[in-house]
Amino acid sequence: MDTKETTLWSRLLNVATRFRHRPEVGVILAFVVMSAIFSILSPSFLSLRNLTGMFTVVSELGIMTIGITFIMIAGEFDMSVSSVYALGGFLFVTLANGMNSLLAMAIVLLGAVVIGFINAMVVLKTRIPSFIATLGMMMFLRGVLLAITGGKSVKYIGDSIVPAILSTRLPLGFRPSHFWFLGLTIVFSVILMRTRYGNWVFATGGDKAVARAMGVNTDRVKIINFMVSSVLASLAGMMVITRFWIANASFGQHMELEAIAAAVIGGTFLTGGYGSIVGAFFGAFLMGTVRTGLVMSGAPAYWYRAFVGAILIIAAAINLKLRSKEM
Amino acid sequence: MEHQGTPLVQMEGITKRYGAVEALTDVSIHVDRHEVLGLLGDNGAGKSTLIKVLAGVHPPTTGQVYFDGKPVLLKSPADARKMGVETVHQALSLVDIMTISRNFYLGREPTRKFGPFSLLDTRKMGQECRDVVTHVGVRVRDPNEYVSLLSGGERQAISIGRAMHFGAKVLILDEPMTALSIKEVRIIVKEIEKAKDEGAAIIFITHNVHHVYPIADRFTILDRGKKVCDLDKSQASPEQIMEIVATGNMDSVNVV
Repeated sequence: MDTKETTLWSRLLNVATRFRHRPEVGVILAFVVMSAIFSILSPSFLSLRNLTGMFTVVSELGIMTIGITFIMIAGEFDMSVSSVYALGGFLFVTLANGMNSLLAMAIVLLGAVVIGFINAMVVLKTRIPSFIATLGMMMFLRGVLLAITGGKSVKYIGDSIVPAILSTRLPLGFRPSHFWFLGLTIVFSVILMRTRYGNWVFATGGDKAVARAMGVNTDRVKIINFMVSSVLASLAGMMVITRFWIANASFGQHMELEAIAAAVIGGTFLTGGYGSIVGAFFGAFLMGTVRTGLVMSGAPAYWYRAFVGAILIIAAAINLKLRSKEM
Repeated sequence: MEHQGTPLVQMEGITKRYGAVEALTDVSIHVDRHEVLGLLGDNGAGKSTLIKVLAGVHPPTTGQVYFDGKPVLLKSPADARKMGVETVHQALSLVDIMTISRNFYLGREPTRKFGPFSLLDTRKMGQECRDVVTHVGVRVRDPNEYVSLLSGGERQAISIGRAMHFGAKVLILDEPMTALSIKEVRIIVKEIEKAKDEGAAIIFITHNVHHVYPIADRFTILDRGKKVCDLDKSQASPEQIMEIVATGNMDSVNVV
């Protein structure tokens, strides 16, 4: 029994070693293993209804994770995404209740661009570590939002254009957000791996001084990536409120940590210069799998955080081990 | 030859002040095609400041740089690079956690059109990079290997090969042999000779005369921001040059 397990394990490690230059290998393996475990524990885990339900929650977290991964590879953090998520949703409801929802969405996205720009400027001009600068932005935005709304929820009574674009249920439990998540994963993965800009992102996070010496405008890269992170967070925020048809200032608290955890589980370095959007995709999925899997196998929902914490540590350790042989 | 009289690069009367500190005072150097200039001086002599002016990092306070006899204004590293000035610096050439081919093309990535999108030409990046890297004598199994696996000498060789591949006319080597093994020094010497044969004007910066003496044609020695002397190789032995670098003057040395 014991030997069988070790051979299976060593075989898995072998496969992982062969493809270890891909940052996303570890998380895909973990995703497969966790899915297998949960489908054994709870037969209905693999039902289409459950999978699409999971996909919905995963998409909202995952779109935020793509943005976080993008900025983390460029060597910075963005803790403010969770507040941008709540603010984006709330602002959208307030605006769309009185105007065309598409216009409201455009304004929200523009607002997110501005917040991303401010984050970047604070980091670049004051040289405060981005962890602190965006932590401040996170608390500031959340505080303002709570103060203005008084914690009250606001119902969405606007038109159904943006809800149809983002969240309205499709046949078989699919939602547009699922396709947004898939599409954004592909688009940002191609940008990162197959464009000049992507190469500059890696270089900026990998070694800023070298990137500069080779003619890369590292400040510009950081500004753009802060904007991307903010825009994707606000998009996810609009997805969640068009799903619930209600906005509340407390939406998305601690979600920035979940997104960072998903990015790290997906193989992205906390120190910048290395990571993967496909890894972020599976990182977000792994968290969703654990969440629904635990609930469906009858464990109290509180165990979710404990599990995610354990997976985070294990994933970071495995990723480091796989990497250390080649870097 | 093709450019009688005017050297490829002339820096005339360069003075550089940082606030009240004068880092360079009226320094002039020149270097021509197919020539290696050894730029020597102790720490703080102003070697790095001088080449930063040439590389477009800092504009001089006063003085003028001439390229092919024509005055040029180097306002940024991009300007200098456009003129064909490439700097190879041990710590500032390659990103450790990127692959060799991604490093090789950093800032100059080749692309191919796919409809309206320009995507990286990864096939060209792999093949061309492998050719150049093999040519400079680095045995690489795969251009997708990470730079962190390479030795200091291999990195230097790749950086020089890259500069020449992208058509460097002036090659600035900033302490290229510090901390290299004897074997690696040999590889770098070969690389520099190759670049010289291909027509590059090479400025080799070091405080160790033994690194540069075997391959240099001429020497310029700086001390505390001022030029001490220009010497042809035939005028002085390595020991004499070392003495000048150490003392900062020519009092104790009788050069030919």
